[in-house]
Amino acid sequence: MPLGNLASLSHFLPELAVTATILLLVVAHVVGGNRQSAVPAILSLAGVGAALLLTALQASVPAKSLFEGMVALDGFAVFFKALTALATIVVVFLSMESEELAGRSQAEYYIFLLSVLLGMFLLSASTDIVMLYLSLELVSIPSYLLAGYLKGGGRSTEAATKYVVFGATASGVMIYGFSLLYGMTGSTHLGEIGRALAQGEATTPMFLAAVMVAVGFGYKIAAVPFHMWSPDVYEGAPTPITAFLSVGPKAAGFAVLVRFFYTVFATPDAASGAWVLSPGVDWTALFAVLSAVTMSVGNLIAVKQDNVKRLLAYSSIAHAGYMLMGFVLLSPAGIKAILFYLVVYLFMNLGAFYVVILVANRTRSEEIADYSGLGSRAPFAAVSLAIFLFALTGIPPFSGFIGKVYLFAEVINKGVYWLAVVAALNSVVSLYYYARIIKVMFLEDPKDKSEIAVPAFPRAVLCLLAIPTLVLGVYWEPVIRMAENSVKMIAF
Amino acid sequence: MTGPADIIFYLLAAMTVGAAILVAILPNIVYSAIALLFSFAGVAGLYVYLSADFLAATQVLIYVGGILILILFAVFLSNRISDVKISNPSRFHWQAAFICLGLFGILSYTAVSTAFPVKAVLSYQPTTSEIGELLMTRYLLPFEVASVLLLAALIGAAMLSRPDGGRGRPAEMEEPKR
Amino acid sequence: MNPLFDIAVSVARIAVFFAFVFGLVVVMTWVERKGAAYIQDRRGPNRASIMGVTLFGMFHPLADALKFLFKEDFIPDGAHRLFYQLAPMFALAPAILTMAVVPFGPPVTIAGKQVALHIADLNVGILYLFAVSGMAVYGIVLAGWSSNSKYPLLGGLRSSAQMISYEVSMGLSVVGILMVFQSVQLSAIVRGQGELLFGILPRWGVFVQPLGFILFVTALYAEANRTPFDLPEGESELVAGYHTEYASFKFSMFMMAEYIHLVVGAAVLATLFFGGWQFPYLGDSGFAFPGGISVAVPAWAVFLLRIGSFVGKTLFFCWLYVWVRWTIPRFRYDQVMRLGWKVMLPLALANIFVTGIVLLLIDRGGF
Repeated sequence: MPLGNLASLSHFLPELAVTATILLLVVAHVVGGNRQSAVPAILSLAGVGAALLLTALQASVPAKSLFEGMVALDGFAVFFKALTALATIVVVFLSMESEELAGRSQAEYYIFLLSVLLGMFLLSASTDIVMLYLSLELVSIPSYLLAGYLKGGGRSTEAATKYVVFGATASGVMIYGFSLLYGMTGSTHLGEIGRALAQGEATTPMFLAAVMVAVGFGYKIAAVPFHMWSPDVYEGAPTPITAFLSVGPKAAGFAVLVRFFYTVFATPDAASGAWVLSPGVDWTALFAVLSAVTMSVGNLIAVKQDNVKRLLAYSSIAHAGYMLMGFVLLSPAGIKAILFYLVVYLFMNLGAFYVVILVANRTRSEEIADYSGLGSRAPFAAVSLAIFLFALTGIPPFSGFIGKVYLFAEVINKGVYWLAVVAALNSVVSLYYYARIIKVMFLEDPKDKSEIAVPAFPRAVLCLLAIPTLVLGVYWEPVIRMAENSVKMIAF
Repeated sequence: MTGPADIIFYLLAAMTVGAAILVAILPNIVYSAIALLFSFAGVAGLYVYLSADFLAATQVLIYVGGILILILFAVFLSNRISDVKISNPSRFHWQAAFICLGLFGILSYTAVSTAFPVKAVLSYQPTTSEIGELLMTRYLLPFEVASVLLLAALIGAAMLSRPDGGRGRPAEMEEPKR
Repeated sequence: MNPLFDIAVSVARIAVFFAFVFGLVVVMTWVERKGAAYIQDRRGPNRASIMGVTLFGMFHPLADALKFLFKEDFIPDGAHRLFYQLAPMFALAPAILTMAVVPFGPPVTIAGKQVALHIADLNVGILYLFAVSGMAVYGIVLAGWSSNSKYPLLGGLRSSAQMISYEVSMGLSVVGILMVFQSVQLSAIVRGQGELLFGILPRWGVFVQPLGFILFVTALYAEANRTPFDLPEGESELVAGYHTEYASFKFSMFMMAEYIHLVVGAAVLATLFFGGWQFPYLGDSGFAFPGGISVAVPAWAVFLLRIGSFVGKTLFFCWLYVWVRWTIPRFRYDQVMRLGWKVMLPLALANIFVTGIVLLLIDRGGF
């Protein structure tokens, strides 16, 4: 039975911590005289840190349905809460270093960032369509504002505008899909919809609803063909936000995609732990094609990019494609692989963006050509970037390799060999453009030979990101066990 | 079974959809805004038709009386929008028409061919207090989350409209340089 | 029963209320000018006469109406013809619609059938009122824009910003009333005000929600574009605001809309905060004063007293508009906005909060 509203509050502490921090930031914005001070950043760090700790405490709590069935507290939700909170903490560090944001009003920036975090918390836990849609908007609307935070800059404005237009369209299509589901079942609760659908046979509206809902979620994870917004948004947004969007909302998008499809269109079989899918629709083929197209388009376009942010944008589309491989299988093992890959991806992608910020602070450029000779100008940053890029490629012994191994293994186990071949070819393509940056950094002579100093604090943060990237490549046991334990979803 | 009630429904639906089409195709954005007014009013009428009295009043109150006025306000303030006919420059007519008509065909086929479960017709009940009750019980969390969302959107609106280029304080409040 | 009877009752109700409101509108234009003259210690209109009878200038509204009808109906060059002509209708129609939900008196029994003195007793009465009166701004905005002239445009813009700002506080200021009387239906709110508070005072809205009353009156004046909030037509700055370019009967439609707003606003004020048709201490069978003294009154007299009570209250608030208009100077526009957002809105929210706490305490304490 779902808990009532008051009884749920004690299981809702991470969300409450984030909300309280948002309100404190509002007060700090009104009271604080200096709009550029570091107080909001530190306040957000404390708030998100507290939320992360409170989430960690929830790891051992038995699964519950909270707030009259609106959200679930289960291993899956806790995993994503921890993941997104971690990403947000790193992004706060990124933002504190960024010169782009230095002259801007700080408190508002962090209010939006934490609102997105709250939205992601709720999105990964939602078990009701009403709640789901609302939390999706709570992720989206502040994201639009963050993408356009460099107000007055043409690219940032373009990014925000495109983001809004695409986001509104995707939301509209998704809502139509929801309305079909509601019309068929008369309920907004995911579990009830799933049970009602399981009783009837697969029908056209059910398939249509699934596709339309997939449009909304596909937009959030930037899967092809719903990826059109992401290169422009990623390029125009402030770099810390680009890093954030490529990890946080993407992870939350995967969370909601998995939870929605598994609770609505599949029935969990308690005995074997596997899901029994609604018959009539070849889900595997559908998502296998989506996955293959997404990774191929992302990688092939990335090859031609000369701007690092744009390149990383396309590479993040490709990574969404890799992760969709785990979704194709519709098995707990596949979800486990996605979860593990998301952890690895968080460190390597945020790390790569961090170096981009550090370089751009000095050179005011994001062009690959301006990275020439970075190996001698800023050896520490260049080596870290090389580590992150190799990990993104998926070369052993870096952690990206292990992540890919799990995804590949599950695809091959299920016998979808062609997808494995496509993914392998894609990895080769990606090696080309990642290695190109590394080549420019270490083998080309710089035009400007002056040293780019990296202060102690960014060095420490870079280490904190690089160490997991390396360590998870050789010792990944605890994380994979954590992911395995988190593949537990409830749907009352 | 077409009775007078059904005719009312079709009239309202035609008004809603027809006005919505006009919103999309009219060249002048002020006309589009006025057409949107009729579309919103048609939706309110559909709510009345379905005995959703609270929703109908809220629809008029918020969309017609609030949002659309603000849209008009923005249009009038940026007066060139209404002169230059830029609101709907269109390209790729045929491709767009093909996709849209295809989607329309699929959706309407689905809507017509599916046997949606229908509840027995209830007698008219006032809905206001029930909605209030649900918002405070079952839908309390979405209600509260919506307030966080609105807060963020409000701060965002203030941030975007502040004439300071995002630098935290209005230009005239900048301290004088010594 | 007989459907003809129902139709007849409906038509009669609409006719009577229509006549009441329009009659009052005509009288108000006279009162406005005579009241201004009285307050400013001058004579006011006194020339219009029929066969030498002037009757304190009572014939002026009639002369005005005739004049409006026979003046040239003129559309300026460059005006947007369609919207220019539609605007007065957009202004007048919502104003007329608002009167539908105001209860004019208690239900009466005619030919064995209960007849409510209401055009429509909607379950969402107050929401309907706000929704429809919010649409009035379209007339003003469209008039301002379609005239293709700068003063009307400025007037229209001022008006839309002002009306939206004050609509928020207005809606919130009434929430307290809704909480106390547990309904959004106007007839239920009026019935709720028939009881006594602590056994002495009538349980009128103004006594249970004093702050709500002040906020509502302020917002009402702002919504009706009346002094001290008549910025949309501030004569000294904008000539005549949004209707500068209008003449003839279109102009008179704007005037009518404005005065209907006043009259209906006064009626709503009386309904929400002053007991509507409730007469103090008057029950169905007669007066019951605190202290146990009761006076029996025949049913027809009760009915007349109640109707009279409603009309009297409405007339008083109509007069209050005039009184305020010729007493208080106009605000500056930034003051209007600051008052709306930084004073009214927080106060309205605080009022809701306090009302909620008090209601909860009463519920718990059981008194």
